[in-house]
Amino acid sequence: MISCQDFIGELGNLLDDDVASEIREQLQAHLAHCNTCQVLYDSTRKTLRIVTESGSFEYPEPIAEPLVSKVMDRIRAGGELGHNDAPES
Amino acid sequence: MGFLPEMDDALNTETLSRLKRNFGLAPRVYRAQLLRPDLVDAQVNLLDRLLFTKGALSRLQKEFILLAVSAENNNSYFPALHCQTLQFLGVKPEQSQQVTIDHREANLPESDVVLLDFARKLATEPQAFTVLDVESLRKSSFTDEQILEAVLMVGLTQLLNCIQMGLGTESDFKPRVTFPLKEMNPNAASERQILEPELTGDFVSDDPDLEIVERVRNGETDAFEELVRKHGRRVYRSLVGILGSAEEAEDALQDAFLKAFQHLPNFEARSRFSTWLVRIAINTGLQRLRSRKEVDSLDEENEEFRPRNIQAWTDTPEEFYSREELRRLVEKEVMKLPLKYRVALVLRDLEELSTEEAAAALGLSIPGLKARILRGRLMLRESMVPYFSKAGVSKS
Repeated sequence: MISCQDFIGELGNLLDDDVASEIREQLQAHLAHCNTCQVLYDSTRKTLRIVTESGSFEYPEPIAEPLVSKVMDRIRAGGELGHNDAPES
Repeated sequence: MGFLPEMDDALNTETLSRLKRNFGLAPRVYRAQLLRPDLVDAQVNLLDRLLFTKGALSRLQKEFILLAVSAENNNSYFPALHCQTLQFLGVKPEQSQQVTIDHREANLPESDVVLLDFARKLATEPQAFTVLDVESLRKSSFTDEQILEAVLMVGLTQLLNCIQMGLGTESDFKPRVTFPLKEMNPNAASERQILEPELTGDFVSDDPDLEIVERVRNGETDAFEELVRKHGRRVYRSLVGILGSAEEAEDALQDAFLKAFQHLPNFEARSRFSTWLVRIAINTGLQRLRSRKEVDSLDEENEEFRPRNIQAWTDTPEEFYSREELRRLVEKEVMKLPLKYRVALVLRDLEELSTEEAAAALGLSIPGLKARILRGRLMLRESMVPYFSKAGVSKS
C-alpha cells in the first residue's frame, strides 16, 4: 500500500496523465481510502483546469502586429539592444 | 594494484602528516602519484585550503558535495575513503551512504538538499547549467562566497575522481556502495536510460522552423518576421510570467528577438529553434529582473512545502466568478509564486510546452522540472483554497 507521501510524489504525473497503469491502480486504491489525498488531488486538478483555461498572460492581439513591426524595424536598422546583454547560447 | 606504482618514501613529511591528520592514513590515490611528489603537495594544499579548512561552507557541506558528485561519476573510491573520514567528524556511515545514493532521502536540511542538487547538476549537466541554478542557491540564502566554494568543490571532486579512475587506484577501505548503482536503485538507472535518448534524439531532425532559420542565415532578413509572428505569443507569455508587467514584457520581447537574430549564427540546432528562443527570452527576463535588483526579494521561502489547507472544493469552482475575474485571480496568484516555480508553471501549464521542451528551455533535467511544476501547482492550489473551497464560495 502506498503512503500519502508516495501519492504526492506521483501527483504531478497523475495530473499529466503520465503514469503506467499498474501505478495508476495503486494511486486509485490510495485515493479510495484517503480523504486528504482525495481533496488534494481534486483541488489541484481543478486549479490546473482554472489556470490553463484562464487565458492568463495572454498576448493581447492588438499589440501583436505593432510589436512584430517594431522588432523588424530594429533588426533592419541593425538595432542596439535595450540592455547591454552578454551573448546567449 | 593500480596502473602505476604506489610509493611512500618520496612523500614530503609535511604532506604525509597532513594526509594522516585528515584521513588517518596516506590514501593510495596520492601514493600512486609520487613520481611527481610536487604535484601531490599541490593537491594536498588545495584539499587543505578548500575542503579541510572551514570556509564559507561548513566542512560537512563540502564533504557531502564530494560524496554526491563522486556518486554521479560512478566513483566508489572517494565515497569509501571519505565515509571513513566523516566518521571522525561524527557522521554515521549510514548517513554518508544515503547522501551518496540519494541525498534527498538523507534527512538533510532543505538548504543542503538544494546545495547537493546544484552540485550534482553541475557535475552531470554542465552544458545545461544556467543562472537559474545559481539563483536557486541564493534563494536558499547561500552567499556568493558559499556558491563559489560549492562550484570549486565540484571541480575538485571531478579532478580527484578523474585521477583515481585514470590511475586505477584500488580502495583503501571496502566500499559500502559500489557504483554504478544499477542493482541498488534500478528505477534511477532505467529512468536515465529512457530519458537521455529523448532529450538528444527527438528535437533536432524535425524542427519546423529550421528552413526559415536557414533562409535568415543566408541573408534573407525579412524571413525572420515569420518567426517573430509565429513565436511572439510564446515569448511574450514567458516574459510576462517572469516580469509581471505587460509593458515591460513588450520591451523585453523586442530585446529577446533582437538577441535571437544577432546570435542566429551560433544556433546549432541541438534543440528546436523555439526552445532556444524561449531560453533567450527567459535569460532576457532574468537580466531585467536583476537590473531591477528584484531577483533576491522574489523568493523568501526556503522551507519544504507541504499542502496545509485541505478543504473540499466546490464541484464547479469556475461558476462563481466571471472569466475576467478568474484571469485576474490566476495572474495575481501566479505572480506571487517564487520565480523558479512560476517560470516552470508558466511554460508548462499556461504556454503548454511539453515536459521535454520546458525542461530544455530551463536547462533542467526532466525530474527537476517535474518537481518544480508540482511544487508550483501545489502552492497555487493552496493560495486558491479561500476562493474555491465550499466554505470559501459560500462566503463570497
